[in-house]
Amino acid sequence: MLGYWLIESGEKERLMELLRERLIECGWRDEMKALCRSFTKKKGRENVTVDDLVQVITPKGRASVPDSVKAELLQRIRSFLASAAL
Amino acid sequence: MTTRNPLYTNPKPCKHLSDYKLKHGLNGYKCLQKCLKSTPNGRTSVEKLNTKIPNCSSCNGYQGRLYFCMICSSISCSDHSSMHTQSKNGHDIAVDIERAELYCCVCCDQVYDPDFDKAVMSKHIIDMPSTENGVESIGERLCKRKRLDLGTDLVDSKKSRQLVLMKDPRAKSCYPFGLRGLNNLGNTCFMNSVLQALVHAPPLRSYFLSNQHNPDTCRSRSADRLCLSCDVSGIFSAIFSGNRTPFSPVQFLYSWWQHSANLACYEQQDAHEFFIAILDGIHEKEAKRMNQQRENGDCQCIAHRVFSGQLRSDVTCMTCGFTSTTYDPCVDISLNLDSSNHSLTEVVNKPGKPNTSSSSSTLLGCLDLFTKPEKLGSDQKLYCQNCDEMRDSSKQLSIRRLPLVLCLHIKRFEHSLVRKMSRKINSYLRFPFSLDMTPYLSSSIVRNRFGNRIFAFESDESDVSTEFEIFAVVTHSGTLESGHYVTYLRLMDQWYKCDDAWITEVDEGIVRASQCYMVFYVQKRFYHKANENLSCLPISPQREPFHSIAGFC
Repeated sequence: MLGYWLIESGEKERLMELLRERLIECGWRDEMKALCRSFTKKKGRENVTVDDLVQVITPKGRASVPDSVKAELLQRIRSFLASAAL
Repeated sequence: MTTRNPLYTNPKPCKHLSDYKLKHGLNGYKCLQKCLKSTPNGRTSVEKLNTKIPNCSSCNGYQGRLYFCMICSSISCSDHSSMHTQSKNGHDIAVDIERAELYCCVCCDQVYDPDFDKAVMSKHIIDMPSTENGVESIGERLCKRKRLDLGTDLVDSKKSRQLVLMKDPRAKSCYPFGLRGLNNLGNTCFMNSVLQALVHAPPLRSYFLSNQHNPDTCRSRSADRLCLSCDVSGIFSAIFSGNRTPFSPVQFLYSWWQHSANLACYEQQDAHEFFIAILDGIHEKEAKRMNQQRENGDCQCIAHRVFSGQLRSDVTCMTCGFTSTTYDPCVDISLNLDSSNHSLTEVVNKPGKPNTSSSSSTLLGCLDLFTKPEKLGSDQKLYCQNCDEMRDSSKQLSIRRLPLVLCLHIKRFEHSLVRKMSRKINSYLRFPFSLDMTPYLSSSIVRNRFGNRIFAFESDESDVSTEFEIFAVVTHSGTLESGHYVTYLRLMDQWYKCDDAWITEVDEGIVRASQCYMVFYVQKRFYHKANENLSCLPISPQREPFHSIAGFC
């Protein structure tokens, strides 16, 4: 239900934007791009689908998100919950 | 930095996409346009009009990627997309809702169609609001990380500076080769400053010092006609002769007056105008000499080989989104100052309220401004091929090809025809010593405008290096009527101030704090090669007695 509320209020959109910005700033997106490139090089361009790439980089991506980014977003969600509960 | 594949071509559509196109053509795309929505950041997504939260018709899930069927408009999640196409024959092509990208449910992969991207982008352009000051510029964002790295560079340069200061200050002959003052012949500091910068442009230096333009064999000169290139060659010889006493470039001045008769006087001139004139002079003589009238090829004269780049101009119709592109050559880039802190009305600082408009001006900010889309006024309507009418348009500039030496000219002299007055803008502009031009290339600008849309990738840019190092700054101090030009040169990572006849070693802090007017950057590989060459040359061919007249202080 929380997810539903987040989207409904438009907060999810804002959080996504914030997350995108932070991940670009810290170089995470570039790292993921590099991973995709090396995977595509290995397999060959014609033999890779978007789904493959998503499957390959998701675990690495989740693991390499900086703690500061996680903390900031958690804080935002907490404040949102607090304001929504009122 | 990854190299671009020059042979990039659009990916071929899969069988299912081709079948869809054959059956439905562009109708589906046109209907989809009504459902598209763009955010100010440039992200386009599909926003269905009935439900706010899209969910999968099979499992009601709303997380992860959701695909919107182009034929029946039903929504499936990534787990159930193949199920949909199995149950409904021919319902293969869908659109990723969050990203507005085509997806083939049979191939389980993203597919690409230039027509689809065109449809998306046309809607996108119409939706996009004008970028406000709040949105961080693309250049700034991409360079943020690079700027954080600069911290370590500064520390190292401090150490090397200490080593330099420990050297014996009396040993002036330890100055590198090619530093020689130029006497002021009567308000000719505009000329001296530009000459100092040109003499130390690595590709120009290599060309003239290797005698590729030989005054003895020059045809123009032997026919008793003056040749600007010969005189430039003369300047090089004089400066690199090893003689440290200040040189008077009389022959050159005389020659230049012949070339630009309308500027022949002892009044102060604009250094940038002089720079353009001298390149033009070299080009004229060399082009005649080489007898080249190549229309489609690039001019091979040394001036153009070194300074010539190419700009791309995209004009977009605000009604239908159609964009037309033109290319123009350029020998330098003139930039307007980016911040609003040069307005004549001062904004009073209310206590407690930070003045947000007083952010400092940076060179990168000026480049961002240069490549920002500009909405042309309704009095500047342009013809749109698609609409067959004059329409409101927006224009965006970008750099298609970078030159070997990049001259960035800061427009500090404002001439207002309306108010019939001219004034100089004195605001400080922060400029970097290392410059990566990637964000301002046509490929970057176009890609940022259109996201990863396919047709934007079709570029024929060759693998070119975009990293530049500064080697000279021409600065201006004073007012429009009475001002003074001074050039700072960077040789072997040490800065020297060239103030007419006086050459002094200076701290890089002085250079950073100066009021730049023309900033000269050279491609990184040339900069390092030039440093190598300098360090191989003898520091001074002969030990000369130290002259206490105007020269090295």
